[in-house]
Amino acid sequence: MILLAALGRRLVTAVPILFVVSMLLFAALRVLPVDPAAMSMPPNATKDEIEAARREMGLDRPLPEQYVLWLGRAARGDFGRSIHHRRDAGKLVAEALPGTIELAMAAMVVASGLGLGGGLLLFMLRGRRMEPVAETATTLMMSVPEFLWALLFIFVFGVALQAMPFTGRLDPGMKLPGITGFLLLDSVLAGRPDILWSAMVHLLLPAVALGLAFAPPIMRVLRASLIDTYHEDYIRQARLRGISEGRILLRHALKNAILPTLTLMGVQFGFLFGGSLLVEVIYSFPGMGNLMVDAVRNADLPIIQVVGLAYCVVVLVINSLVDGLYLVLNPRLRPR
Amino acid sequence: MMPRWMRSARVLAGLGLAALMLVCAMAAPWLAPHDPDEQDLLAMLLPAAWQAGGDETHLLGTDGLGRDVLSRLLYGARVAMTVAVTASFGAALAGAITAYVAGYLGGWMDWLIGRAIDVWMSFPPVILSLILMTGLGTGARNVVLAIVLVDWTRFCRVLRAEVIVVTQRDYVTAARLAGFSHLRTVLKEIVPATMPLLVTLLTLEMGIAVVVEAILSFVGLGVKSDQIAWGQMIADGREAVYQAPWNLLAPVLAIFVAVAGFNLLGDGLRRSLDVRTLEGRE
Repeated sequence: MILLAALGRRLVTAVPILFVVSMLLFAALRVLPVDPAAMSMPPNATKDEIEAARREMGLDRPLPEQYVLWLGRAARGDFGRSIHHRRDAGKLVAEALPGTIELAMAAMVVASGLGLGGGLLLFMLRGRRMEPVAETATTLMMSVPEFLWALLFIFVFGVALQAMPFTGRLDPGMKLPGITGFLLLDSVLAGRPDILWSAMVHLLLPAVALGLAFAPPIMRVLRASLIDTYHEDYIRQARLRGISEGRILLRHALKNAILPTLTLMGVQFGFLFGGSLLVEVIYSFPGMGNLMVDAVRNADLPIIQVVGLAYCVVVLVINSLVDGLYLVLNPRLRPR
Repeated sequence: MMPRWMRSARVLAGLGLAALMLVCAMAAPWLAPHDPDEQDLLAMLLPAAWQAGGDETHLLGTDGLGRDVLSRLLYGARVAMTVAVTASFGAALAGAITAYVAGYLGGWMDWLIGRAIDVWMSFPPVILSLILMTGLGTGARNVVLAIVLVDWTRFCRVLRAEVIVVTQRDYVTAARLAGFSHLRTVLKEIVPATMPLLVTLLTLEMGIAVVVEAILSFVGLGVKSDQIAWGQMIADGREAVYQAPWNLLAPVLAIFVAVAGFNLLGDGLRRSLDVRTLEGRE
């Protein structure tokens, strides 16, 4: 109940943000020197035809009026048609979104595993001779952004070793089962272990590339907050009671130290969701990133608008969920 | 006696790498063995000199048009470093001014700037910069502008918190009681107190700017296509990875070295200037 109330509060603040974002997006994309009407017509269209298209698309009216029109249509689920693909922009995004979410979630699992494991390791190395070495290693790791990992993995596993596939979500010739769009889920629902395997193999390199890039900040925050927690009296108390160091770390200290790490992981997930764009392009992974880059190259305004909004919605939802989770895990924040 | 930050190994290593990059960028015309735009269609996609089939005059090989990879790499440093330095100073300036206004004055200005940050934070930075570049069009100046417009929040968020803490110190109250104007109090008392944090953030931002410029050029939305950029080299080198792998590996390494230099420097400065508030933040 408390959780639902908190989630509700978060979502209430998210709505005005979404409004402002949609307005800014709309305004930013209307100052472009391209004419969406002319682009949506065949090249041999006459001036009059383009003029008619402009009127039909509402481009001859003042900007605020255009925005209200667009908002009204968007509320009914109509986000306009893609100029390049000549299809419904909302549908294109709905098809691309599951792939990106799948990739981002897999990458987040990798980042959390590496981040928490690495954070514990860094903490256990504190005060030893290896500590500066390990810390420099994390700094260097932070200097490799996700798209460099992606390129290096292709080079090592795809080209040099020829061990892993590095394009798309499935082997060529395999068909998407197409129930929810989430391949891992769909292949299980359809009872197709071969598709599941293929999807997992294709997901591995991009997910690890993304995860590696976002793990180091998690390591550092966990280490720092473990160090803070170890100054607390209850840790000393546990030691005096003769509890083993390993048990103190994992059962006592980690419980509290994980909370700030969790907040960071929420922020990281938002960044990671955006960072997936480059990884998708590099691995020809059909998702929001590829859709966005194509749209940007073709100045496909309706798509840019919806994709921008979709990224924003996902980030706001993630933030709300993390806040909710924080509340569940930290009883001190609950009202008594 | 050397100041503490001069004795940190990280700071020295970072300064060394950053200086190396700056020298490469500034001295590119003298260091480069070839004209970076000179095409040699008889020597296309040569591998590096030490690989089978390599040519001594092209140390890192040639690209798909027979242009020398090493020379292009050196010239690519010019765009990368120009963007890194100007964009990070721009973002620092914009972020610092908003942070001082929000943190020192408080009230409705603080509220407004806080909400603006909320809006900015609801966008993944990569997406926001892509959208801005669509609106602004390609070109080095627009890349700088896009980075400033996206990354001022990185400075504002962290600095604002620090400014609020410093504003409550007694010596700031004393300055006001002594008749300092608001402007003078901020410039003489608060700016110096937050300077170490600002310098650290600035250094880290340079690394971020290098990456963002590479990303934008990689997608084809960065600098103009006649300028040489590492991101563009990576995009081209990807096609030729079997024949001439250094087309891809050289710019990848260059980006890593540049970013690692700025990160080591920033990390070392943070430690030696003892900026507690930054510990554990992105």
